Amino acid sequence: MRSFLRLSAMFASIVLMLGTNASAQEPIRIGVLLPFTGPLAKNGIENWEAMQIARDMINERGGLNGRKVEYVQGDATTPNAAISETERLITKEGIKITTGSFASPLAIAVSQAAERHGVFHWETTGAAEIITRRGFKHTFQVGAPARKYGQAAVDFVVEDLSARLKKPMSNLRMALLWENRAFGKSVGDGIRAYSEKKGIKLVYDEGYDQTATDMTPIVQKLKDVKPDVLIAISFPNDAILFQRKAKELDFNVNAFIGVSAGYSAPDLRDSIGNSVTGIFVADFPPKVNANVLKPEVKKVAEEFYKRYEAKLKRAPAGHAAAGFSAVWALFTEVLPKAKTYEPAELRDIVLKLDLPEGSLVNGSGIKFTNFDWPDDPKDAGQNLRASIGVWQWTKDGNEQVFPPSLATHEPIQVPLPGWDKR
Amino acid sequence: MSTLGQLVISGILIGGIYALMSIGLTLIFGVLRIVNFAHGEFLMVAMYGAWAITRLLGLNPYVAAVAIVPAMFLFGAIVYRMIINPALDKPHLVVVFATMALSIFMQNVALMMMTADLMDVPPIFGRSITIGPIYIKVELLLGFIITILCTVALQWMIKTTYLGKAIRATVQDGEAAMLMGIPVPRIFLITFAGGSALVGLAACVMMPLFSVFPTVGLNFVLIAFVIVVLGGMGSIEGALLGGICVGVVQSLSSYYVAPAFGQMFFFVLFLFVMIFRPNGLLGQKGAATIGMNE
Repeated sequence: MRSFLRLSAMFASIVLMLGTNASAQEPIRIGVLLPFTGPLAKNGIENWEAMQIARDMINERGGLNGRKVEYVQGDATTPNAAISETERLITKEGIKITTGSFASPLAIAVSQAAERHGVFHWETTGAAEIITRRGFKHTFQVGAPARKYGQAAVDFVVEDLSARLKKPMSNLRMALLWENRAFGKSVGDGIRAYSEKKGIKLVYDEGYDQTATDMTPIVQKLKDVKPDVLIAISFPNDAILFQRKAKELDFNVNAFIGVSAGYSAPDLRDSIGNSVTGIFVADFPPKVNANVLKPEVKKVAEEFYKRYEAKLKRAPAGHAAAGFSAVWALFTEVLPKAKTYEPAELRDIVLKLDLPEGSLVNGSGIKFTNFDWPDDPKDAGQNLRASIGVWQWTKDGNEQVFPPSLATHEPIQVPLPGWDKR
Repeated sequence: MSTLGQLVISGILIGGIYALMSIGLTLIFGVLRIVNFAHGEFLMVAMYGAWAITRLLGLNPYVAAVAIVPAMFLFGAIVYRMIINPALDKPHLVVVFATMALSIFMQNVALMMMTADLMDVPPIFGRSITIGPIYIKVELLLGFIITILCTVALQWMIKTTYLGKAIRATVQDGEAAMLMGIPVPRIFLITFAGGSALVGLAACVMMPLFSVFPTVGLNFVLIAFVIVVLGGMGSIEGALLGGICVGVVQSLSSYYVAPAFGQMFFFVLFLFVMIFRPNGLLGQKGAATIGMNE
């Protein structure tokens, strides 16, 4: 009996060895969970294009330890679909590394399914705080947490706009408008808390449903409270409806700061034309001042922007640049150091990463929390060095304006001209 | 005061747009009792049509109606023949599921063909007109006028023409109508297609106001169903009144309570109307059960 066991053990190890030898030439398969269809597909597909460029670039450079990178797509249209697609990739396709997801509710779902199977999830752009506060071991969020979007907007007002508008913060009337789903609410809560900490009183603070078809009540109320600065968290359709309604009712502010999604979407200009010029956006930077990037990252950035613009005929939005930055970091900083590509090994590699700002194409660095962050000891897997800032729509593109280290341009059109002059 | 005036005027005007989009559904759901969950997608397709004509041919979206309305009539007729008609003599749920499937199918075809990008047409009239402190968007006002004209014309058609009488007879008692020599299947087809054509008109009026994207219908379809029932099943002037009520209630409650509650309040209004006037605001007595008692 004993010799039989020994024999079968030997046999099994030979089979295993053969297996690993054979797989040395096989591609490294990574599950990409993004909304390819449904209401979020637009952003999902932009992210996908950016990630494909990263895959092509790494494969052209010889792949990872001699192995090509291959993506397996999962269509995460809704949180429910995100869970079942993640499960499918893991159980049917044998995927052990997942990435993507774009929106917070999807990131929450994908990481939950991945964690359940002990799969390594590299989240590119999800932002809700909860993603890294569930004690998960294998979920790493490379993008900034939701509160940072709002903090960037508030810091910009305090450190820059207040002086430009010649209004001390004690006199400056700040209003906050947020769509009331996971992302908008999360960012809105963050802004409210952060403003309080800075001693700023909000003159207006309301949430709305992003499927709203009439913005009159919101714009009318804002007209009545007369804010100097308005910070709005919106999705594309409601952002357009709001801007059109503001024009219709002749509502003017001295500075308008949109946060992420709706105001950073490249087609905002197609929809509201040149009146987009002057609007500030707190978001992932689409393109940062190249001087902050490490020299080798600068070259990668140049290639990425060139390829993206050639492929899609327009510059990438911040989330697409963030998607590229995150998977490129996975390809160059994480996977080359791996031997087994097992989640436990990847986790060890990732937790050791200590990259300064400017290491990723969008100006981010990498340093993950691991229940050791003084601000929130329950947090694990959040990148503390993700770059976030404020950029501005200009006449023919966009320019980073804040923080000064990432800025490519001085803010223009402060105060914002009235609708009759735009 | 000027705030209240602005809210009421804006509510009435947007309500007119809601009503126009619901009149087609009044024919399909209110009169024929066909639960068409793809109504929002009909709107989406027609809006893409209006967008294409405006952007590619450089025409005004209102002029596009000349092509979109007949095209949607034809589209409605084809959908009726291929999907609705075969499901009509089956249990009620079959139509519900068939139109639900059609809705998802159309959304995804649109997504493949048009991508998820938001499409817009440039504004037609630059600035709003002002009456005292109140701002009125010309496109909204035009939409409202078109809605009124459309309501009057349709009302006249239903009340006085042979086709209108035949539609009403078919709905009240299909078998008796058939015995009187009314071509019932054809009346159904024409009414369904007519409802679709009206959605086409609504789409042309809405195109200068809203962006079109594959799931745009979802933002409107629920409002349309509420308006049809609220106004009274099958009542065209009821749809107008229902639309205006929804617009004004939404506008006032969003301002005075909170924007997030705008939708909740018109459903509260809906509940109250259903409790105290189960036939809707202008529905005739027993309207809710017509066509259900064979």
